[in-house]
Amino acid sequence: MPKVVSIHSYRGGTGKSNFTANLATTVALQGYRVGVIDTDLPSPGIHNLFCLEPEQVDGTLNHYLWSESPIEKVAYDVSANVGINSGGRLFLVPSSVKADDIARILTHGYDVKLMNDGFRQLVKALELDYLFIDTHPGLSKETFLSIAISHVLLLILRPDKQDYQGTAVTADVARQLRVRKMLLAINKVYSTLNVDALKQKVEETFHETVAGIFPLSEDVVQLASEGVFCVKYPEHPVSQEFRNVARQIAET
Amino acid sequence: MSNMGDLQSLASSITAVTSPFRIYLTDLHQKYQAVNDGAIADYIPELTLAKPEWFGICVVTNDGQVFEAGDCDQLFTIQSISKAFVFGLALEAHGREYVNSKVSVEPTGEAFNSIVLDEATNRPYNPMVNAGAIATTDLITGYSCTERLKKLLDMFKRYTGHDHEINVPIFLSEKATGFRNQAMAYLMRNFGMVGDNIDQTLDLYFQQCSMMVNARDLAMLSATLANGGKNPVTQEQAIDERYVQDVISVMLTCGMYDGSGEWAYRVGIPAKSGVGGGITAVVPGRLGIGTFSPLLDAKGNSLRGIKVCEDLSRDFGLHLFNVAKPDNVLADWISGDAQIDHW
Repeated sequence: MPKVVSIHSYRGGTGKSNFTANLATTVALQGYRVGVIDTDLPSPGIHNLFCLEPEQVDGTLNHYLWSESPIEKVAYDVSANVGINSGGRLFLVPSSVKADDIARILTHGYDVKLMNDGFRQLVKALELDYLFIDTHPGLSKETFLSIAISHVLLLILRPDKQDYQGTAVTADVARQLRVRKMLLAINKVYSTLNVDALKQKVEETFHETVAGIFPLSEDVVQLASEGVFCVKYPEHPVSQEFRNVARQIAET
Repeated sequence: MSNMGDLQSLASSITAVTSPFRIYLTDLHQKYQAVNDGAIADYIPELTLAKPEWFGICVVTNDGQVFEAGDCDQLFTIQSISKAFVFGLALEAHGREYVNSKVSVEPTGEAFNSIVLDEATNRPYNPMVNAGAIATTDLITGYSCTERLKKLLDMFKRYTGHDHEINVPIFLSEKATGFRNQAMAYLMRNFGMVGDNIDQTLDLYFQQCSMMVNARDLAMLSATLANGGKNPVTQEQAIDERYVQDVISVMLTCGMYDGSGEWAYRVGIPAKSGVGGGITAVVPGRLGIGTFSPLLDAKGNSLRGIKVCEDLSRDFGLHLFNVAKPDNVLADWISGDAQIDHW
């Protein structure tokens, strides 16, 4: 049975796209067929991490939502780009980076039913084992949809007050949407913080499991937005933590 | 997001989209979109403008949840479906006894447009054939034709929650070619089954047939009946609940033209169809179904609509007389709480 995982954060800058790219790649490296869909229509970006250049892209999620293309035709096999050479496969459905296209979506909106049916069609057509949905920060129609549809909702937060507050709001909404499983991941944690105490505090605050804690890592920052960290440094503690999160998702 | 009411309603609109039941309807839509048999009604030129690919399915539950697949915004003429609701309006205005003295409730093996009255009583056979509907339309009271039309439109507004328009070209076309219906009206006039105001009543009859609706409206019409005459979304009472059973029972016995017997046996959901391509179907106490596809079978019923209702009835055990445990529990599919994974 395919597994749908939404990755969300209330505020921007939590490292959501980077997290999604690494987690999806980690799962694909384990031999699975993995899809990533960038539903961040107002500010797409994850295609950079998968080294998919705009000139290689002739159709996007936008075109699907305008009924100009089937969803599977705007999915790109990026396995080779990130260095997955055997076993698993990784596909990306990017959103358009053209200002006109973004403006058109913002002005006219889109049919949320179509988005839902597109997720499902993509999973079927590409025979995916996993679908990761990268979302726009904050709460929006697509956030609500991706939360309601997912088997697992992964909320990313940084250890600061604004993120705590926003995550609490998102968790409330997720419960209202009867989310099946919620996991938290804490990102950009200073090395001086006590990791165990942080985990305990966050779990007590939100009554949900912390699936992973990721340091504010210069190694990751150096590679940010140009390739996927966990492929380049598979034995790095950060890559191990992604495998840890992937295992918990597989177990749900 | 401070208002929990808004959050709840937004959440519920999203869970309606992701509900396994809507996915089921989407699959059903896809499955029967491929059916291209049947023909579009062509007795007036305006109806031939309908596109054969048009196809919408909508289900509205008693608690007001709306599930849609396909073209649920596409407008078309309600045609004979209005007959069921006009019957209800006549009952409210005059009571059972009087209405039954003007129109019987007996199914007829004759075609919907036959010029036949019950020989013993001179009544038309039932309110779902043209003659019977002209008789019930005649019972809509009012000082002027505008007032009578307004009563009719107000009634439909109570059912669907919004205003409806009459398609004037279709109305004029129906009127210009409706000699058979005029003949029937005069025959009934001869027996005193309708009053003196034949031309006005016929206009009103042609107007009600030419009212524009979409698949969602049809689901809301039947959901309102299913919900004891109260619109499940607006909570407005559209028809006195005492007469809901009258309307639904005549739908079951006579609603699908001369295919009604087989429909009652195979589908077992009281329904009314129209040659515009619509079907409205009532599962009492539970939900309303509205379907739209203009491709009709030889009896004048929407082909895809029939198939959709057959599947829904079978898959969820919605047949009125079903006592076996259904394959699927509808409530679980709607809530998505059960272990139904549509992926």
